[in-house]
Amino acid sequence: MDERELIARVRAGDGAAERALYDAHVDRVYRLAYRLAGDDDLARELTQDTFVRAFERLGSFRGESKLSTWLHAVATSVVLNGLRKAKRFRQRETDLDEATGISGGPPPAEPDLKRRLAQAIDRLPKGYRIVFVMHDVEGYTHEEIGAALGIETGTSKAQLSRARGKLREALADFAGEWVS
Amino acid sequence: MTGDRFERLLRDAAQDYHRPPETPREEMWRRIMGARARRRQHMLVQRRWLHWGLGIAAVLALGIGIGRWTARRPHGGGAETTAGRVPNEAGTLAYRVAAAQYLSRTEALLTGFRTEARPSAPDAQFAAQARDLLTTTRLMLDSPAARDGRLKALLEDLELVLAQIAQLPAGGDKEDVQLITQGLDERSVLLRLRTAIPAGPGPVRMQGAL
Repeated sequence: MDERELIARVRAGDGAAERALYDAHVDRVYRLAYRLAGDDDLARELTQDTFVRAFERLGSFRGESKLSTWLHAVATSVVLNGLRKAKRFRQRETDLDEATGISGGPPPAEPDLKRRLAQAIDRLPKGYRIVFVMHDVEGYTHEEIGAALGIETGTSKAQLSRARGKLREALADFAGEWVS
Repeated sequence: MTGDRFERLLRDAAQDYHRPPETPREEMWRRIMGARARRRQHMLVQRRWLHWGLGIAAVLALGIGIGRWTARRPHGGGAETTAGRVPNEAGTLAYRVAAAQYLSRTEALLTGFRTEARPSAPDAQFAAQARDLLTTTRLMLDSPAARDGRLKALLEDLELVLAQIAQLPAGGDKEDVQLITQGLDERSVLLRLRTAIPAGPGPVRMQGAL
């Protein structure tokens, strides 16, 4: 079944077509939601909201882009709104981590690098973090990121570059040890 | 280790950043279908309430209009005929029908709110219904009902409660919900409302406060 036919069948209320659309995209939507939320319950909720909204709004999809591009724009919008609502909760978690001194620490080792990297990613400015996760972690292209976030491809590239720079700075002690 | 190797190491390490488990496809699908069914149901209920609300408002407005028109007519003393009373009776009947519907629906809403609204997340449906009924409450306060002191006091209490429910935020506020239910209890709003609702089946009820 090609994409146009699939969309037409979903619009006509065909349950099997709805399921086919869901199966084709759910992994990528859930993975992105999980990577950005870092919480299974929230990721599930955001994924569900994405598909509920997508099915409701498919009537307004004019076919000017690929369905996957449109769906990921819906997903990123739902995820970013959801994260904004959960921000207070995330802030409390970060404060708790800082209070317990997780960011300080023992001599560098690889597991510690992963932990420190995760913290450094969490602390990136929101735009940098989203582009970094989408590109370097989930493998989205700059074109896909631009379409999903409504930004220019060049902006996506610039934000990725700045994100990497900030991560290098945050993990300079690791780099120093391993580069030398 | 070179700078490039460090970059590669970073990229590899980043794969472990919030590494997602296997996608819970079936569970999420069930929930999506459930959420969509609830939304469809919610929209149907809203549509039905909107129709009822508009109908009640229209009948009330008609009743009030007829009432005012007949009230302005000069009485001819003993010369008043049956024909002269017809508009007045029609107005009273229209008012009673509309008022009975309004009171029954308000009672259903408040009963539902009291039993179903969870303190942490009152359903947005209650707020929407309260907004619809609030308009009718204001019309009722401008109708012959407001001449009855007991009913006027009830309508004023209902206006306050409906306004509070209508303004509840989507996420809900535990204290607001508690204040509303507390107000309902303290002023015996539901009891007074049930007493005011005319008894008997059908839209035209001739008992109660009307």
